[in-house]
Amino acid sequence: MTHLNPIVLFFYFAAAAGISMFSMNPVIQIFSLAGALSFFFLRNAGKRTGMHLPLFLLALLAALLNPLFQHNGATVLFVLNGNPVTKEACIYGAVTALMLLATLYWFRSFSELMTSDKILYLFGRISPKIALLLSMAMRYIPLFGAQLKKTAQTQKAMGYFKEDNAMDRIRGYMRVFSVTVTWALESGIVTADSMEARGYGEGKRSSFAVFRFYRKDGFYLMLIGALFLISVYGLATEAVAFQYYPTFGAQAPSFISTLTYIAYIMLAFLPTAAEAGEKIKWKYLQSKI
Amino acid sequence: MIVIRNASARRILRMVLPFVLIPAIVALGIFAVESQYHTLVSFLVAVCSILLFLCGFEKKKIGSRRLVIVAVMIALSVVGRMFPIIKPVTAFAVLSGMFLGSEAGFLVGSFSALISNFYFGQGPWTPFQMLAWGLIGFFAGILAFPLKRSRLFLYFYGILAAVLFSLLMDVWSAVWLAGEFLPSLYVAKLLTSLPHTALYAVSNVIFLILFAKPFSEKLGRIKIKYGV
Repeated sequence: MTHLNPIVLFFYFAAAAGISMFSMNPVIQIFSLAGALSFFFLRNAGKRTGMHLPLFLLALLAALLNPLFQHNGATVLFVLNGNPVTKEACIYGAVTALMLLATLYWFRSFSELMTSDKILYLFGRISPKIALLLSMAMRYIPLFGAQLKKTAQTQKAMGYFKEDNAMDRIRGYMRVFSVTVTWALESGIVTADSMEARGYGEGKRSSFAVFRFYRKDGFYLMLIGALFLISVYGLATEAVAFQYYPTFGAQAPSFISTLTYIAYIMLAFLPTAAEAGEKIKWKYLQSKI
Repeated sequence: MIVIRNASARRILRMVLPFVLIPAIVALGIFAVESQYHTLVSFLVAVCSILLFLCGFEKKKIGSRRLVIVAVMIALSVVGRMFPIIKPVTAFAVLSGMFLGSEAGFLVGSFSALISNFYFGQGPWTPFQMLAWGLIGFFAGILAFPLKRSRLFLYFYGILAAVLFSLLMDVWSAVWLAGEFLPSLYVAKLLTSLPHTALYAVSNVIFLILFAKPFSEKLGRIKIKYGV
């Protein structure tokens, strides 16, 4: 999955998370969450364990909030402060919580896979100028960090500021910051002049990228596109529509709804399958050594 | 995606996006689709509005010096966002808008959000942060003249920016949490985020007090010395 072209990766996450965000279908939400979780844990088994609790708490909050603020629905469970709490709103809240959690985990994987160079490549396809701006800004961040440190050390070595009282420290760091900003702006101008001297702005801009579009990318793009279209068709024709208010109800299962569910399940578990396949291949090749 | 390199396609997009596509999506969200799709509707509107600004940026001829200065400002505000508790991103967007024009303000605001989220975590909220900060910088550019003249108005704008940011971001978080737009939940969300907004307003004003004078001097000096 990591080695695919960024366009394919972006399209995949847009399709998987987009359908999940668009539909309030509980079945799709469950499979979306299952797909997102399995992919995330396959890649990060035992790592970053501290991040899960806040996400689940947020989802719990969403599940609780909806019945408190939404009073539609026919089945009143109990009355709280004069407002009815309905069964339908509770179900809706639970589905929202699933959706939320699924989206969050899709985005976690998204930010893990779509590193800044890949985002840059995508922007480069849209607008080379934006890509240039982004890449320059990203290069400046560590540069400024280093320069800040250098300036602070120099100033300290020259005895310009002590760290023993707060006011002096703040003033000292402000001066360091100010010096660095001036340096950054000036060196930026030097960069610009150097760019111009080498012919920037002459002719069309292109942006370099290490990513190429292989046959494998085309295969994945077509597969994802087909699954996406089937799912969207099922959603658009309301074959998988769920009704929440006033009473909870589902459409009778049909050929199209089954097809939609199968397509979405395949879509949701595609990265897990691809990743697992690669791991098995790796183990197999290792065992041959 | 490659189509946007074409100048005439960009011109069409610039007309279609604000006058047709965004109103159409909003109208669709209100009248046609059911309330459960509000999350996607607001997400799409945010993405479209950002795209609109980017189209304009590509079309205009921006000198390389200006481009580099914008990149420098973005990097500075991303570095600034690493500070604990109080964040100077708004101050940088406002100052860039004031001294380098509204387009630069929008770019600094929105790209600071995008790049710093590589460190803080990308999420469905990224387009909203980009839009909110971008607009804060953009309006600072439009109001550049009164902002430069009156220091008090600048601080007031800092507070206003915090309120606007919170108003816009809470639309998103309320819609996202409930899956639909519930006005009562939105108000509740605004009230609970009040301390956050207050902290944000205070930090905006602090950073504007700290940075307004040095940045006007530095950027003014660069402008005179190099003619940006």
